[in-house]
Amino acid sequence: MTSVPLVSVFSADDSSKVTAKHIPLPAVFQTPIRPDIVSFVHTNIAKNRRQAHAVNPQAGMQHSAESWGTGRAVARIPRVSGSGTHRSGQAAFGNQCRKGRMSLPIKVWRRWHRRVNIKQKRHAAATAVAATGIVPLVLARGHRISQVPQIPLVVEDKIESYEKTTDALNFLKRFGAFEDVQKVVSTKVVRAGISKQRGKKYRVRKGPLVVYFNENAKLLKAFRNVPGVEVVNVTRLNLLQLAPGGQLGRFVIWTQSAFAHLDKLFGTYRYSSIIKDGYQLLRPLITNPDLARIINSNQVQEKVQPAKTTKVLHEVQKKNPLKNTKAMDRLNPYAKKQRVAAAAAIKANTKGTKKIKKNKALKKASRAAYNKVAASLNDATKAAVQEEQDIKVKYFSVQKGAAQTE
Amino acid sequence: MSQQVLWEVVKGNNAFLVKRNGLTLSTDPFNNTGVQTYSSTGFISKNAVGVVSTSGKVNQINNINLVTKKSTKFQQADRKTKNTQSVYASTLAVKHGVHTASRVIRKRFGTSRVGLQRAALRKLVKLNRANAVRRRNELAAAKAQKK
Repeated sequence: MTSVPLVSVFSADDSSKVTAKHIPLPAVFQTPIRPDIVSFVHTNIAKNRRQAHAVNPQAGMQHSAESWGTGRAVARIPRVSGSGTHRSGQAAFGNQCRKGRMSLPIKVWRRWHRRVNIKQKRHAAATAVAATGIVPLVLARGHRISQVPQIPLVVEDKIESYEKTTDALNFLKRFGAFEDVQKVVSTKVVRAGISKQRGKKYRVRKGPLVVYFNENAKLLKAFRNVPGVEVVNVTRLNLLQLAPGGQLGRFVIWTQSAFAHLDKLFGTYRYSSIIKDGYQLLRPLITNPDLARIINSNQVQEKVQPAKTTKVLHEVQKKNPLKNTKAMDRLNPYAKKQRVAAAAAIKANTKGTKKIKKNKALKKASRAAYNKVAASLNDATKAAVQEEQDIKVKYFSVQKGAAQTE
Repeated sequence: MSQQVLWEVVKGNNAFLVKRNGLTLSTDPFNNTGVQTYSSTGFISKNAVGVVSTSGKVNQINNINLVTKKSTKFQQADRKTKNTQSVYASTLAVKHGVHTASRVIRKRFGTSRVGLQRAALRKLVKLNRANAVRRRNELAAAKAQKK
């Protein structure tokens, strides 16, 4: 990390004003993105809010049912004792039976919670914070950030003293975060399933997360009624809020002091964390993960052998050399010469053969005879036509003469 | 952020992913093919142009916008041009014809990423044609109304 990226702090009242121009980004934001760690930690930590529940241990067992044994033409399942009611003689106790107890009934001492190694939890939190600073990840999580002036969004501490929800709303509107809130409002759905009868009527999306620092900040009350918005103190950053559903890239709004506290909280690559005792930020396996850039870099391209041209070993469709002359020539370059010589030989041969000569002569003679006959016929027809013409002319001229005289 | 790393995070699940009928599609505005693949997913790359049809809020002849991806290395959006710039993209309205837009696309991709360039151009042409049809219909309807 030779050049440290810089971030601006915005004025709470006016989103175009910047109160602090170039603050270096805390080292947490440079942590390698590790979705595997986050996913693992999230699935386990998500179990820690569960409350113990269990099935009534007596459920389905409150009978003095006994199996009737064999020889009674019924299945051997325990059957309800007694008489005088439909229930008597019905099957009981089994998981397969109607009104029987479930198999492996849930016990209160089920292992509800999971412990995760502290280091893993911290790495996950660090990665989640880093992901909040990466625009494509925030987009991929589905936040509407097209109007937000900067990611990560850092605002001056003034918002920590907001008490009224109107202030909070106006602040969100000013910074383009209201689009995300609108998304939350418009996608509020009645939950599918029984939970809606158990106090979880609606499924609400997650909107922006506002992170503050000073303990006596009042902004919790200002922001808590805005749908989708969550407020949290930097010292208590929660993976379940930073990467809801295990999905990295929550849209986070930091206050200036919260942002500044991150270096102390997570430490940097120069010093380990002050607050998280002995915690050192995760180092990347590859410092430059941009493969395309590495491959195309001068250092690599210099050492690399020139690209091999794709060599065509054979034609895609096989041609029969016995029928296809070009295919034959490719296999045997002398074949062409052979063919030419053979043709010449044949030609020479045909010129000399007696039979062929005779035939030629006969052909010639017959043609001559034909031509003669044709010529005489031609003459004859010509003469006949001429005669007819003459008669016509005579006849018509006579007629004309007759007409004229009249 | 490296496109490869982002792809590993995003390929399994993201807001633009749509899986239907065995197809893996994407509603990413920077994706001109519609199918989610590594190279066509523009929102994770540094260099992408999305051809987007707008709803017509902005009074345009063509309801097409070009959304060009900006390098998102902690850049601020220019607040003066609020409607056309964001942290990750700048929007160019395609007003008349398709030529300036295609020039923008060609310049963006240059000689590399020809496939992406073609996809963007293809979409631009198609949207343009669709708009031509729509405009023709609108004009015809307006004429009919006048009569």
